[in-house]
Amino acid sequence: MEIKQTAMAGTLESSDIQIVLSQGSNGIEFDLTSDVMKQFGDDIKQTIEDVLKAFKIDSAMVKVVDKGALTPVIKARAITACQRALDMKDQPQWEVL
Amino acid sequence: MAETIQELYLHNPMIKKRWENFLKDRGITVFADQEVDTIDQTIGLFDEQDNLVGTGSIAGKTIKYIAVSDDGSGESGSRFNQLVSALEMKLAEAGHFQIFVFTKPQYETSFQHVGFNTLAKTDYGLILEKGTPNIDTYRKGLPQKPEGAKSTVAIVMNANPFTKGHRYLVEKAAKENDCVYVFVVNQDVSLFTTQERTQLVEEGTKDWDNVLVANGGDYMVSYLSFPAYFIKDQDNAIKYQTALDASLFKNQLAKPLGIQTRYLGTEPTSHTTNLYNETLKTILPPEVDVKEIPRLTAGSGQNVVSAREVRALIKDGSIEPLAQYVPETTANFIKENLDLLQKRILKGQKINGN
Repeated sequence: MEIKQTAMAGTLESSDIQIVLSQGSNGIEFDLTSDVMKQFGDDIKQTIEDVLKAFKIDSAMVKVVDKGALTPVIKARAITACQRALDMKDQPQWEVL
Repeated sequence: MAETIQELYLHNPMIKKRWENFLKDRGITVFADQEVDTIDQTIGLFDEQDNLVGTGSIAGKTIKYIAVSDDGSGESGSRFNQLVSALEMKLAEAGHFQIFVFTKPQYETSFQHVGFNTLAKTDYGLILEKGTPNIDTYRKGLPQKPEGAKSTVAIVMNANPFTKGHRYLVEKAAKENDCVYVFVVNQDVSLFTTQERTQLVEEGTKDWDNVLVANGGDYMVSYLSFPAYFIKDQDNAIKYQTALDASLFKNQLAKPLGIQTRYLGTEPTSHTTNLYNETLKTILPPEVDVKEIPRLTAGSGQNVVSAREVRALIKDGSIEPLAQYVPETTANFIKENLDLLQKRILKGQKINGN
């Protein structure tokens, strides 16, 4: 699916994660800032990528600022960002959740 | 800890006083109207006792006047992050996902921790950027220079409108080099709109195929990198801002694009532009050369060709003398649109600026 508009979810507070999705041209591209990049960078990307796949998004610029979020938080923020980016906030995709 | 974010309405004098005092205690002392008036929204962070412990403002797509109180409890970092989140949320609601920050060099890491990238840094100031589009997407969108081009140079111009003087400068650069980037200033505050200015530059430089015309985006002589160019200001502010503009050009554009020289016209009449040229000459070398070309003179050789002169003629409606100042393409455009241009002047568009 195509990203219709740039969308943001999450905050920069401790234990949260901020995800901004915008139109991409070259698959899924990540720009990740995290204090635990070395330890969990790949896990964070994988979690977000799985959510994007569930929404059938295969091209996006994903800007992520992680402040030590746990996996369920990352997933929740990613889902919200996707729904906002696809302009379907009012039609939740239960099979993705 | 329950600290809450509330909006601060600065048109209330009591609130404004409190806000100013808070910032003054933290080393921010400039409250010139031209800075404060551009603020769209201000938020404050309050602790349980209703003390102001942090504030930040947005103006267009830039974050300004951000400060938090550091009472030694170790909360200042989390307060800062909370404020930046809230400001970003507000900017996102307004549809801005490209965000800029002007700040002091010592706060570079605080902003980098919340995802900002440094665009330019001098001893006195710092510009950071976050979001998309950004400098990378801007660079990717520029026209590609031909393969095998050895000497690549750049000219930045407002071209309000494109004159024979601009053409002379471009011609000189085009003859001496393999490839010339002409960046047209993006800020739309001039008599001629950005689209018109770009169109006239494109038409006026058609004869050379090694000239690439591009929009300067947010990165060249824009409100962001160089507000004083558009707002008359003290010399120090100009020096400070031109230094940022020059270092942004050098590091983010000249280096990645392989631009070796920047061409300038000498500036006998405009004070701001003259200071700008001086700054470019101090900051760009040795990596990027600066070549200053004497201005083209009109007629008997007394008057330099300047776009300001042309705008004065448009105001008076005198079409005849235009031919000695502007190339045919620009003259034709002015003839066809004289009414429209004069109407803009009547409406209050300033014509005696840069």
